[in-house]
Amino acid sequence: MINFYEQVRQNKIRSTIIVVGFITFILVAAYLISYAFNLGSEFLVGAFIFSLIMTLLSYYSGDQIVLNLNQAIPADRDKYFDFYTVVENLSLANQTPMPKIYVIETPAMNAFATGRDPQHAIVCATTGLLTKLNRTQLEGVIAHELSHIKNYDIRLMMIVSVLIGSLSLLTNMISRSMFFRGGRDRDNNSGNIGIILTLIGFLLLIFSPLIAQLIQLAISRRREFLADASAVKLTRQPSGLIEALQIIGQDPNILTSASTATASLYITNPFKDKLSSLFSTHPPLAARIKALREML
Amino acid sequence: MYILIGILLIVIVYVIAFYNRLKTALVQIGASNQEIGNQLKRQADLIPNLVESAKGYLKHEKEIFTQLTDARKAINANQIEKSQKLISKALGALQVIVESNPEFKAATVMTDLMAELRDTSDKLMYARRTLIDLTADYNASLVTFPNSILAGLFNFQPQKGLEVTPEEIKKPEIKF
Repeated sequence: MINFYEQVRQNKIRSTIIVVGFITFILVAAYLISYAFNLGSEFLVGAFIFSLIMTLLSYYSGDQIVLNLNQAIPADRDKYFDFYTVVENLSLANQTPMPKIYVIETPAMNAFATGRDPQHAIVCATTGLLTKLNRTQLEGVIAHELSHIKNYDIRLMMIVSVLIGSLSLLTNMISRSMFFRGGRDRDNNSGNIGIILTLIGFLLLIFSPLIAQLIQLAISRRREFLADASAVKLTRQPSGLIEALQIIGQDPNILTSASTATASLYITNPFKDKLSSLFSTHPPLAARIKALREML
Repeated sequence: MYILIGILLIVIVYVIAFYNRLKTALVQIGASNQEIGNQLKRQADLIPNLVESAKGYLKHEKEIFTQLTDARKAINANQIEKSQKLISKALGALQVIVESNPEFKAATVMTDLMAELRDTSDKLMYARRTLIDLTADYNASLVTFPNSILAGLFNFQPQKGLEVTPEEIKKPEIKF
């Protein structure tokens, strides 16, 4: 038996460790790659700035794009009384302003939250989810989404994206320029250490985007566990979220309008692949339910 | 030399951050107290109107209407606990009536009414929960080390939070 305070604390510590590891990896990789290919720091800075601008654009205008992509319509209190009042009540407990709410008309069951901070947040749910869950189960799902907003997960994933983007740009630029230059100039720093570092730089050129993405997915999974634990802190009732996850897991419908480009956070992986869980943005449902059961 | 200055700076920043955090927490606790009053007032204002809308079904239940009118008067006179008791009684009676009249369940007016009533209770519950959580976080800061020393220096006092009276913990009676 672990209570939710303890689970929240553990998840926060673990996610901090992963994020610190991630930043370290990016910095080391960027340094070694530029060492191996004799790049000046203007390349690093340029890659970073470009990636930053692209991500900021998606950060500020991404909400509207996500809503349009999914054909979401605003939800009013009369037609979606339970959805509206659940979000309203949990925002009160969450001590955050009530987000704008939208619905997507589809039988697939899912919900997502987006928005750069609690003052500009949006929560969206599918009509499939709203009809198939009762109020207590809906509270579990909405508490999870509101926790994402309060924990600034969207902002965290944005920062992670900027770093990955810069790294990918860097490796891209080098690969292209190598094609034309055909090799690295010798400089007077080559000794044994220099050769080893250069070798690692070469390997990182090929593998670092992949490694960085794996770490990013690990961060995403850890934040999902944190959102589950924070949801229990809000509702004090793990059974709502447990039942909701079970019902969603057994539902055969797939959300066809989901896209990997959206920087928002779904309640479960909308793609439902049987891929190795290393490549999934969400932990397996069984693991999440197990963690939630420990708080019962 | 510079290391000492650095450490001193860090300590000063820590103390200032701690002081501000606790002061903010106290203000938030006050605000959440007001929120409970806000929800109670909403309840007292809303419920009589809702029950009015279901008057057709409840025309023989004069007692409920009397209790609700009294509750509204109590809120206006700032007698929060008295109004709470009256509303609880009226809601209890309402619940019994709905349960014992199956045709009410088919009426949208009645199901809407019960949904709004449940929502009102939920809001009150979450307002109370917020006060409890904020007070717990604040009180925890007072007793954990090293903050306990700082709290003593600035003379921060523990907060009461929400008190539950013995009669509120009484089990509800269910008669069949």
